[in-house]
Amino acid sequence: MNQAPTDANSIGAVAAYSDPVLCVDNVSLAYKSPVGLWSKQETLVFKNLNFQLTRGQKLAVLGRNGAGKSTLLRVLAGIFAPTSGGIIKCEDARIALLALGAGYNPFLTGRDNVILAGLLTGQTAEQVRPRLEDIKQFSELGDAFERPVRTYSSGMRSRLAFSGALFMDVDILLIDEVLAVGDGHFRNKAKHALTQKFQGDQTVVLVTHAMGDARKLCDSAIWLEDGAMRQSGAIDTVADAYEASL
Amino acid sequence: MQLRRELSFIDLTARMGLRADAAVFYLGYLWWVLEPLVFVGIFYFVFGILLESPRADFLAFLIVGKLPFQWFSGSLSGSATAIIQGQQLIAQSPVPKALLVLSRVQQTSYKQLAVFGLLFTYLFATGVPVATSWLWLPIVLFAQYLLITASSLGAAILVCVARDFTKLIQLFIIAMMFSSGVFWDPRALSPELQHYIFLFNPIAMILDCYRQLLLYQQAIDIAHLALIISAAAAANAGLLYWIRRHETWLALRVLS
Repeated sequence: MNQAPTDANSIGAVAAYSDPVLCVDNVSLAYKSPVGLWSKQETLVFKNLNFQLTRGQKLAVLGRNGAGKSTLLRVLAGIFAPTSGGIIKCEDARIALLALGAGYNPFLTGRDNVILAGLLTGQTAEQVRPRLEDIKQFSELGDAFERPVRTYSSGMRSRLAFSGALFMDVDILLIDEVLAVGDGHFRNKAKHALTQKFQGDQTVVLVTHAMGDARKLCDSAIWLEDGAMRQSGAIDTVADAYEASL
Repeated sequence: MQLRRELSFIDLTARMGLRADAAVFYLGYLWWVLEPLVFVGIFYFVFGILLESPRADFLAFLIVGKLPFQWFSGSLSGSATAIIQGQQLIAQSPVPKALLVLSRVQQTSYKQLAVFGLLFTYLFATGVPVATSWLWLPIVLFAQYLLITASSLGAAILVCVARDFTKLIQLFIIAMMFSSGVFWDPRALSPELQHYIFLFNPIAMILDCYRQLLLYQQAIDIAHLALIISAAAAANAGLLYWIRRHETWLALRVLS
């Protein structure tokens, strides 16, 4: 880390961990989208967000649809740069985003897509290859693992995405609404595996509308509303306030 | 380390793309050589037989022009949409957008190895002598590769600005095919016109270099080639810098 967070809202303090891995420092994001041929409309997604993630912290991001939760994950993943403010992370911190419908080249096989996903998190193909059989086995895709993803059903795609991310060696895992993955059998298996992952020392940021999962899996939360951070703190405190507002 | 990782990404994803590409077709990898053969066959039928080209060596002339041109046209056509087609990857990770474009160029370049194999097989089979002039070939290949990457990076950015550019780029490729001397000889024009064609259309110059070296064992204009290499290298550096500075803007263009 080369810079400290500047805001008193930092929720790192409420977590039981002290080693910071990522600081969100006064981050705002707005973008312009074209309206017609010549004019543009500016959309403010969020403004002046401040919080920090510590090693091993499990953070839930709560908020209504359109609150900017998924976009926040993309900012944390480095896909979008903030319009102002900054994301400061440990130089060697590897981040992976697990989101349904994202990250797959439909023309590549399941195997190649998993290798590609590993490359995108900064790993080498040699580092990913030893985990491929575990991923294939967990995904229960069998021979389909060697076939192009375009031949998969949506359930098979989500099983591949989930399994790939589960076995990926990253420091910060960003999860966007993927707990309802696959059929009942796979969903239970996935939840069990994820629960184990949440018990480890990996840092996880979870976007979900399933409040039961958030309370069970996370230790802290932030609540986004109308482009601002409405509340941050321990999971039960924030979740209670958020549910009361619904 | 970062450069090595990026080069490895380009190489690996290009080879994955080739496998995926081949898996779509019944004839798979055979299309790498079938497609250029069919193109040359059509051009030879129209310009060599129907229009009775006066050149005795028209087939060799056509092959040495058309096959290298296909490297340019195939790369540009494929990589113009490389960033927008990488939507799924861009939604998941901060992948440098230039890598998506360069991976597509590399994919076509690997295919082109087979196409050049075809070209040299033809030259050897027809008894074209190997000459010392061929030693200049790597310089010509390098110049063409730089031209291809610069055009592809520029085209991919334009397509992110407006999808309409995909149409214009296809028209541009056709215009380049007609203006680069693929099936006609710029050297048959007046010296003044020839000068302007080689000056303003570097692909015409490159195709002429291939012919002078491979078919006629003649010296090529190294100073002109050095100018093309310098301009293309500067364009590549500028475009790569621009893309690095606008990664988020490009991501928003693709995802929003």
